[in-house]
Amino acid sequence: MNEPVVDVRGLHVRFGEVEAVAGIDVQAYAGQATALLGRNGAGKSTTMRVLAGVVPPTEGTVTVAGHDIRTETLTVKQLTGYCPDVGGLVPRATPWEHLQLSARLRRMTHWEDRARDLLERFELGDVMNRVTGGFSHGMGRRLSVVLAAMHEPQVLLLDEPFDGVDPIGVEATFDVIADARARGATILLSTHLRDLAIQACGSVLVMRGGSQVASVDADEMAGEEGARAYRALLD
Amino acid sequence: MPTAPSSTDTTRAAHTSPGRVQAARRAVQDVGILFRFRAQAVRRRHLSRGLAATFVLVTLAVATVPAFMPGANGPGKAFDVFLLLPSAMAGILALNIASAVASGGGRELLSRDQASPYPISPTTDHLGALLLAPFNIAWMIQAWVLFGSMAYSYAGSKLFQAQVAMLLWLVFCTTLGQVVAWTMEAVRRGPYGIGITRGLLVCLALAAGVVQLTGHATEALDTIPTLWVFQGAVSGWAPRWWILLALLLVSSMVAIAVGAWPTHLAARRMPRDEARMETDQHEPRKMPRTVLGLLIRADRASVWRSVPMRRGVLVLAVGPGLVAIFGDLPWASMTILPGLVASGGALLFGVNAWCLDGRGALWRENLPVPASTLFDARAWVLTEFLGVASLITVGLGALRAGIPDPEEASALVCTLLVVLLQVVGASMRWSQAHPYPVDLRSARATPAPPAAMVGYSARLATSTTFTSLIFSGAARVPDWRLSVLLAIPCLLWSGVRFERTARRWQDPVARALVVTTTAA
Repeated sequence: MNEPVVDVRGLHVRFGEVEAVAGIDVQAYAGQATALLGRNGAGKSTTMRVLAGVVPPTEGTVTVAGHDIRTETLTVKQLTGYCPDVGGLVPRATPWEHLQLSARLRRMTHWEDRARDLLERFELGDVMNRVTGGFSHGMGRRLSVVLAAMHEPQVLLLDEPFDGVDPIGVEATFDVIADARARGATILLSTHLRDLAIQACGSVLVMRGGSQVASVDADEMAGEEGARAYRALLD
Repeated sequence: MPTAPSSTDTTRAAHTSPGRVQAARRAVQDVGILFRFRAQAVRRRHLSRGLAATFVLVTLAVATVPAFMPGANGPGKAFDVFLLLPSAMAGILALNIASAVASGGGRELLSRDQASPYPISPTTDHLGALLLAPFNIAWMIQAWVLFGSMAYSYAGSKLFQAQVAMLLWLVFCTTLGQVVAWTMEAVRRGPYGIGITRGLLVCLALAAGVVQLTGHATEALDTIPTLWVFQGAVSGWAPRWWILLALLLVSSMVAIAVGAWPTHLAARRMPRDEARMETDQHEPRKMPRTVLGLLIRADRASVWRSVPMRRGVLVLAVGPGLVAIFGDLPWASMTILPGLVASGGALLFGVNAWCLDGRGALWRENLPVPASTLFDARAWVLTEFLGVASLITVGLGALRAGIPDPEEASALVCTLLVVLLQVVGASMRWSQAHPYPVDLRSARATPAPPAAMVGYSARLATSTTFTSLIFSGAARVPDWRLSVLLAIPCLLWSGVRFERTARRWQDPVARALVVTTTAA
């Protein structure tokens, strides 16, 4: 197998006395989608924040496409597209202003057509000039996915993208993941919705209490048997 | 199989609304519960206790010590202060009304979003805002000025009675301000509300302008009923003092009770300003040439599309400017204005500058842009915001003050530069050290909890007033170079501290703490 695009080894993240992530290893490859599953507080979002360059690791090594997240944070941010677990939107900016900012900072040219297309696919075309402060939760989540995917990143980090999203938004997110896989991007999807995770991803990493408790193929988590296995891992 | 209750179901009687008295009693109890809840969340309790003790001690000192100062109760300056006190009382009433109206009904014990899962009535909200009103340096300064002026100008055996009356006057001003504010808020949220409110403000400004321009300002001030209140306050144990006390107490109680009605009315209506801001369309504009320009544009949008900031800066910039016009403030004294306005402006968002991004902070932190550029953009927008407000105030003051002498102009420019750097530096420093997750959508939102706001405002007021007084003195020395010489070390000192804060922002651990806290 090729070199992993996302390579996390012995990652620890501590906030004061709280250990949010307690020594996990993650390897994710090009063209693959990996789901991070686990209960609330398992450390999924913190891991995603580390990979997005938002929170620095306390211990361990994290590389994205061969770049060390500690020393080459800015490069990693260029390569990743991140949909945070909460909000992710500046309340008094419009969707189009968010897209302009992202495109400009990533030195994108001719991005407008793709941005409009994504907004239409996520049914946000009509509100592209409205400030996001008045958006519903689902609209905000959909726009966060658009922002993460717009620049066709090498690593797509989606943290709870299905939370409160309607079926059309879920379908559109599946399409974004499928497109990203088809062009060889690495996708990490954090969620607590097992069914959606196994539909969208090829492998699953289960976390509990800040640690990794299993890393299996998505098929093994499917059906009632998979549900029982997942439940056993969470308890 | 269970079915939904029918209209004849007797169990429905158990869920009828409580009576008015019961609802009011419950609202009062809820204020206590919420206040204790907020108090539990105070991070540094010893500091809060210290602040509360300091406030009480300072208030007691201000209300008594000036009575023993040289010239107290005398025919000179003390008598001038004595004559001005009724006007000062009227000014305090006007300021209480203006600040409560600008903040859409006063502070919230619990923000709108946080309060949404709980059964909190508008009456509780109204009482909570009243309780929080004194947790504001502007309110405290008004109180101290009133007590201090009374002690200095009326030292003697009747001072105690006079100070008790002044205390009740402050209570009355606060409660009346709240009633007016909620009424205005109910009107503003009603049909044509925004137009009616703006029309009313224009009429008030025009009326004040006409009174001033026609030279009737002194006569108008003499007709203000505060003169009657003042006479009652200084009448010792006379029956008039008791009548005044009873009147102020009853009026305050009535204002508290009456205030609940417009609060309920406003609560049933959509906050139009906020709703309009959140549904406004903003057509795309051409991309700026630089990344810094783009970030500045984004931050500017965050500031100017926020209701509390637009309203706050309007009151801050125009209010002191009008006082300067009507008070015929000379250029040398105008050095006090930039510090006052800049400190007030920083309290609108600057002291927690990273909260502007709200939950978008996480996404923004993932953008591939150097941390220093983000810092520069935020600091620039804050400077611009405070600078514009200060210039509007000075511009208004200049309408009556005429053309300044070179030393006055030099002192004013130097004050402006020094206090801007002082305030921006302190704000950026505090924003890093003590971030808070705040949603600045509501007109009643503040960037930090009440106790923290008192601390910030006291520190800002102290440092900027001290600076302003130094330059006010320099403006009276007939050499414009003195102000420049004084400004250089001040700018260097503040510049070094600002640079240190900017360097600290480069630390990813410190930045992560700020970002994850403000986005929480």
